Amino acid sequence: MVEKFKREWLTAPGTNILAGIVVALALIPEAIAFSIIAGVDPMVGLYASFLIAVIISFVGGRPAMISAATGAIALLVTPLVSEYGVDYLLAATILMGVIQIILGILKVGKLMKFIPNSVMIGFVNALAIMIFMSQLEHIFGISIDTYIYVIITLFIVYVVPRFFKKIPAPLIALVVLTSIYLIFGSNVGTVGDLGDIDRSLPSFFLPDVPFTMETLMIILPYSVSMALVGLVESLLTARIVDNATDTYSSKNRESRGQGIANFVTGFFGGMGGCAMIGQSVINVRSGATTRLSTFTAGVFLMFLIIVLGEWVVQIPMPILAGIMVMVSIGTFDWGSFRFLQKAPRTDAFVMLITVIIVLMTDNLAIGVIVGVVFSALFFATKISKVDVHLEELADTVTLRFAGQIFFASIDTTIEQIEFKKYDKPVQLDFSRAHLWDDSAVDAVDTIVRKFEEKGNTVYVHQLNADSRKIVKELSQINEQHLT
Amino acid sequence: MYKNILLAADGSDNSFRAAEESLNFINGETEITIINVIDAETSKNDVLHSSPSESIIHKRKEKLAKIVELYETNKISCNIRFEHGTPNETVVSAANSGSYQLVVLGSRGLNTLQEMVMGSVSHKVAKRSNIPVVIVK
Repeated sequence: MVEKFKREWLTAPGTNILAGIVVALALIPEAIAFSIIAGVDPMVGLYASFLIAVIISFVGGRPAMISAATGAIALLVTPLVSEYGVDYLLAATILMGVIQIILGILKVGKLMKFIPNSVMIGFVNALAIMIFMSQLEHIFGISIDTYIYVIITLFIVYVVPRFFKKIPAPLIALVVLTSIYLIFGSNVGTVGDLGDIDRSLPSFFLPDVPFTMETLMIILPYSVSMALVGLVESLLTARIVDNATDTYSSKNRESRGQGIANFVTGFFGGMGGCAMIGQSVINVRSGATTRLSTFTAGVFLMFLIIVLGEWVVQIPMPILAGIMVMVSIGTFDWGSFRFLQKAPRTDAFVMLITVIIVLMTDNLAIGVIVGVVFSALFFATKISKVDVHLEELADTVTLRFAGQIFFASIDTTIEQIEFKKYDKPVQLDFSRAHLWDDSAVDAVDTIVRKFEEKGNTVYVHQLNADSRKIVKELSQINEQHLT
Repeated sequence: MYKNILLAADGSDNSFRAAEESLNFINGETEITIINVIDAETSKNDVLHSSPSESIIHKRKEKLAKIVELYETNKISCNIRFEHGTPNETVVSAANSGSYQLVVLGSRGLNTLQEMVMGSVSHKVAKRSNIPVVIVK
């Protein structure tokens, strides 16, 4: 216990604190931009990032992973905020936390493996496209100055890191360009046009919503979507961090931790969040391995806001838009184009349908669910292909079955057989097949009976151990048929 | 001849050419260590494109199979080291660990603009390594 605490908190503290500071600097522009996407004051996203990062550093399952306010959640709640206001968002965040805690207790982490890669790739691509699209209104048709700021921001974030890595390039863009704006002035919108910055620590309050069934019915669909999307992105990120650090982490503890973090955050005026792929990659690249890095990221973020709060409202919007374009480019899975060419057609289809459904519904959760349903259907179709091959030998006729025999595949299996009178014994060879259920056993019974009705002697051959067991338990076939 | 050579390889054609070039610096006694650096970005890509963890390791080994085969046909003993981190820093710290006398790596042959945006691993390794560096173009 003490050993584990030391390892998860105190290994290489210097490196981890530095990594956390780098992440905090990179988190600020994102937290503000995600607040603007959701349609709330920047403080709602900044408080969320502070609270979620600090809480998850204690209760999360994956050390060195960064959780905060995210684009995935912000994009989900935009309609809720515009229709009902920020308090409903806070209530939805609390409920989101409750749902995630329950899912964590139910050990839903294990269910993640039912989300195939094609759906995951569709998820990150749809997320990237949505973040990108959400920025267009802050870039186009505003002013020439806006375009110039966006272009300079993109130049800084892509070129500066090649020469200078100590400070995250988005922050350099933010500081340099905001200074230029403050000195020379430009015709651009600022964060202040969209909301205020409050230079105080978050405090506890109940969201100002009526505690009625009606409220619950309004927030519940959002909370369910937020909970699902939050877990999908968090557990995907956890797998990436596991791989990048060559360590294993508890997915169920992470699910519960995400729930606790969101539950508490909602009571302190923060919007829901989850793990962030991009920030976690930055953290790990900076050498982070412990919970201390995540903790530092949250605390340092809050410290900066209290110190620098009055400057934040002066940040020109096009800088944030440029940074978000970079985030979307970094989020997109550029391996997708090769995936579309090389992967099986059905996988490519599932990836595309996931993206299309998300873009049509503006809801990542629906995209994931539709994607999983399609891939399950394709899987069932693929696996329900059973091959029956007829072989006439000198003294027997052998029917070789290959594939998975279960309720969905018995029709296609039996259809392939021609029941007629052979002048030799009929052998049913199951060496390359597996019987899965009651229906499969029924099917074997049926096949044996039909051949016997035509006056053949039938033997059932080479059932594997599992199949033989269920045949023994369920079948009417008597021992003399089994060889 | 060198006794212990470090070959930085990512499985690309360039790294295969580097492996071929390294044959000029060895005899039967030489031990080759192939170092493959897995960046966090690579992890993201690998996790998205292959599901169970074993298959990721398998995929990574497969990328280096051509190089391993090259050494095997030349009867040179070689082993693979997978390391996590940023490519240039990880290769430099392995090179400077004292276990090797020479580091060989391929150059992607980037133009000035690409180098500005993507950064050149070979350039950085050449600058900061304490042992001789062979960059294969």
